[in-house]
Amino acid sequence: MSLPSDKGPSDKGDTAGLSAADYDAFCRFLRERTGLSFTEAKRYFVDRRVSERMAAVGVEHVRQYLNLLRFQASGEELQLLVNRMTVNETYFFRELYQLDCLVNAALDEVVRGRPPGSRVRIWSAGCATGEEPYSIAITLLERWSRVDEFEIELYASDIDSQVLARAREGIYEQRSLQAMPRDLVAKYFTRLDDQSWQIMEELRDSIDFSLVNIADPQQMENFRGMDVIFCRNLLIYFDDLGRREAASMFYDALSPNGFICLGHSESMSRMSSLFVPRRFPDAILYQKPQS
Amino acid sequence: MALVKARKIDGAKPAGAAEGGDPLAWLEDADPARRRQAAHALGDRPDAVPALSARLTREEDPSVRETLLTALVRIGTAAAAAALVPHLASEDVGLRNGVIESLQQMPAAVAMPEVAPLLTAADSDLRIFAAQLIGKLPHPDRLDLLAGVIDRDPHVNVCLSAVEALMEGGDPAALPVVERLSGRFPDDPFVAFSVDAARRLFSGA
Repeated sequence: MSLPSDKGPSDKGDTAGLSAADYDAFCRFLRERTGLSFTEAKRYFVDRRVSERMAAVGVEHVRQYLNLLRFQASGEELQLLVNRMTVNETYFFRELYQLDCLVNAALDEVVRGRPPGSRVRIWSAGCATGEEPYSIAITLLERWSRVDEFEIELYASDIDSQVLARAREGIYEQRSLQAMPRDLVAKYFTRLDDQSWQIMEELRDSIDFSLVNIADPQQMENFRGMDVIFCRNLLIYFDDLGRREAASMFYDALSPNGFICLGHSESMSRMSSLFVPRRFPDAILYQKPQS
Repeated sequence: MALVKARKIDGAKPAGAAEGGDPLAWLEDADPARRRQAAHALGDRPDAVPALSARLTREEDPSVRETLLTALVRIGTAAAAAALVPHLASEDVGLRNGVIESLQQMPAAVAMPEVAPLLTAADSDLRIFAAQLIGKLPHPDRLDLLAGVIDRDPHVNVCLSAVEALMEGGDPAALPVVERLSGRFPDDPFVAFSVDAARRLFSGA
């Protein structure tokens, strides 16, 4: 099978695969609006995602779609496309400010009044290949001063069984580790070869990875008593009603006063009125009220 | 190490499925969590619309109220939309906003027949809500209905809500409609400002 990127400039002109001129226009637009930069080598990647989004919004021609991106007042479609463009770019310690917030403020609030030895439950929903839950684990061990006082359960879930298998395996390449200090890589990973590192077995075994569709109420009933939920850059793929239902199910999964962490471009106030936004020095989290 | 092995969660196992009883009865339970559970369970039952609506009238817990509204949106029938409309007249701002958001999320073909008649309500606040809602419903009558507001509604604030709704839609075909408002309220500076803003928006300036 030949890939679109193997071809020369397409003469299809106005439908994805993008013509050379349209591809240039797209990349220029995305660079100006988002800072994302795509070279010719990324052509297949861009082409496929643009085609998917065009199909999703029912637009047939590339120029129509570009106009939608440029002029849509809400900017929602641009956000959806950007998320599709960046979805595979996850890495350890991504959006570090929320991990800072977790260990600097949120967890201390969660455990206030709890006796030593109590359980603390943290869930990474939409964990993909595992960088997020492992980042949470390492951050807790390295930076939360009260980590030894409590028994911390880490849950991680995704709807994609293939990425879960990779998460359980815990093998990563340099790109995933780019933001991690070398001393932490040395401490928590075993080098397998020039290209790959595997996270230590003790950490792999400490996280419960499970196949979960967060849109399924029955599956979500298994998650209760969570203290913190990370659900970053996942709900953006849901429609309004789906986001609202997911927020409601997260509400049921959380303990009173528990927190939910969304991606930096997401706002719970546009999804649901169930949570109270809490502004901490490092980040804004959303909290389930006491009653 | 302070991390302990989490208990295994099996996503394929329906944990609460074995629980018996009729969710309709749980709607009146004293425990808000039970009422939320009921609303979740009733989201695919059109026959539950009267009960959900009745509970919505009395419900004071915000989390249950949100789940009741979500269930009505999920049901998505004309009866569900009709059950929401009376709550637009509520004195409770939270409920009113929740109802507006819920009607926006229902299919336009279902919500529009329930919302459009509010454009002739005696209460100008209801007409404003209706204009705001219609602006967000992807329905073929949207432009005509909002144009009718701009051409005929006696209250300038209702007309300005219609202008705002048209601007949010971003359709340049709305500009001539918006411009007609200047003729109806020639001395109102905010009308002049809004029409000018619409010109700038639609011309891309």
